[in-house]
Amino acid sequence: MASDILLPGQPASLSRGPVPKLGGGLYLKDGQVRASLVGVAHYEGSTLAISRVRSHPPAENSVVLGTVTRLSPLQAMVSISVVDGVPLPAGEEFNGVIRTQDVRATEKDKVKISDCFRGGDVVKGVVISLGDARSYYITTARNDLGVIFATSEAGASMDPVSWQEMRCPKTGRIEKRKCAKPETL
Amino acid sequence: MAQSVNDRRRINGPEESFPPVFDDEDDDEFKLKTQRKRGPGDIRPIFLQPGLISQANGSAYIETEKTKIACAVYGPRQSKTTTYSEKGRLNVEVKFAPFSCTRRRAPMRDAEDRSIGVSIHQAIVSSIRLELFPKSTIDVFITIIENDGIEGCIASGSLAASTALADAGIEMLGLVASCSAAIVGDGIQLDPTEAEARASSGTVILACMPALDSITSIWQSGQMSADLSLKCMEQCYERCNDIHSIVAQSLLEHRKTD
Repeated sequence: MASDILLPGQPASLSRGPVPKLGGGLYLKDGQVRASLVGVAHYEGSTLAISRVRSHPPAENSVVLGTVTRLSPLQAMVSISVVDGVPLPAGEEFNGVIRTQDVRATEKDKVKISDCFRGGDVVKGVVISLGDARSYYITTARNDLGVIFATSEAGASMDPVSWQEMRCPKTGRIEKRKCAKPETL
Repeated sequence: MAQSVNDRRRINGPEESFPPVFDDEDDDEFKLKTQRKRGPGDIRPIFLQPGLISQANGSAYIETEKTKIACAVYGPRQSKTTTYSEKGRLNVEVKFAPFSCTRRRAPMRDAEDRSIGVSIHQAIVSSIRLELFPKSTIDVFITIIENDGIEGCIASGSLAASTALADAGIEMLGLVASCSAAIVGDGIQLDPTEAEARASSGTVILACMPALDSITSIWQSGQMSADLSLKCMEQCYERCNDIHSIVAQSLLEHRKTD
């Protein structure tokens, strides 16, 4: 209902006595639940929240999509462009870093970054921490995380063959990447 | 003045230029004291429209008779600084259009722009939940298209900034409303224009969050007694409640048409 739109600072009308768990967009002050965004408050399970349609900076456990920009022996630098399914405005990308120990779950010390990522690959990862001043720390150590899109040296977009290899459809050559398991499998 | 000669981006006019001189300069003051068309407690009607600048995350345009201000909000985006900050940063930049004042202003940013930026920053910073945006910066760009008094600019600028932040979906504790007052003789006149502020002996600008019943900033300049300034603040605070409903209404209407 249009009249249920809450404005920042406006108290949310709650039916029951005890304060429910608060999600994003609401805060508790002096025992009164108030909105901090413009929107309608609704229950998601037992949590009361106001859904945010705009993009937001990455937080811990956010699923992010990014493009690999630089490679170094110890880490891969990623430019984060999608956070939790919401694309960031063009030019406002955040910087992230995938360290060698966060690339995969097994044999962490034997990782060669150039066998896992190459420049220009689109990578799906999860933010593990805020990191340092310049970049967020991202991990791809799960079956469904890793490279989702890559271009081969011949210029065609490759298909994943296994979690470690991708195949170029033009030349048939296999290139090594840490691939994400496709959702349809 | 040597700087304007070196401004290669624009076609430079003569170094010094003066507005045309009119005959009746004496009548102005007389006109003022007898001709304030609204009552001393009335503010100028406010037109506030969010969402006009599609490129920005959030924006607002405010117009009150002769004060016209556009505000754009970008963010939260990654801080360019190398220091790690647990809380987000707010950056307010104010720019006067060269045609905004009666005498042409150079397009350079000078001290007056920065001091207005500081005032607006102080008015809105305590209303934003900065602890939710570590390592991020929120940029607020305010362009003053027409200027009718610095107090009016600061008050309207704070309103526009708060509306633009709500439009951008940035979490805030409450909406900020702001009002200015001037002491003319022994009386208090709310929302002074430039001429009224110049004829006054002191001004007060108050910014508050009526939803939370708290004040975010008070700027007082000029000469006035302590209880006169307190009375100014009380009147401004009462008026801010009305202004707050205007801001709320414009946000709701904008949200309904989205």
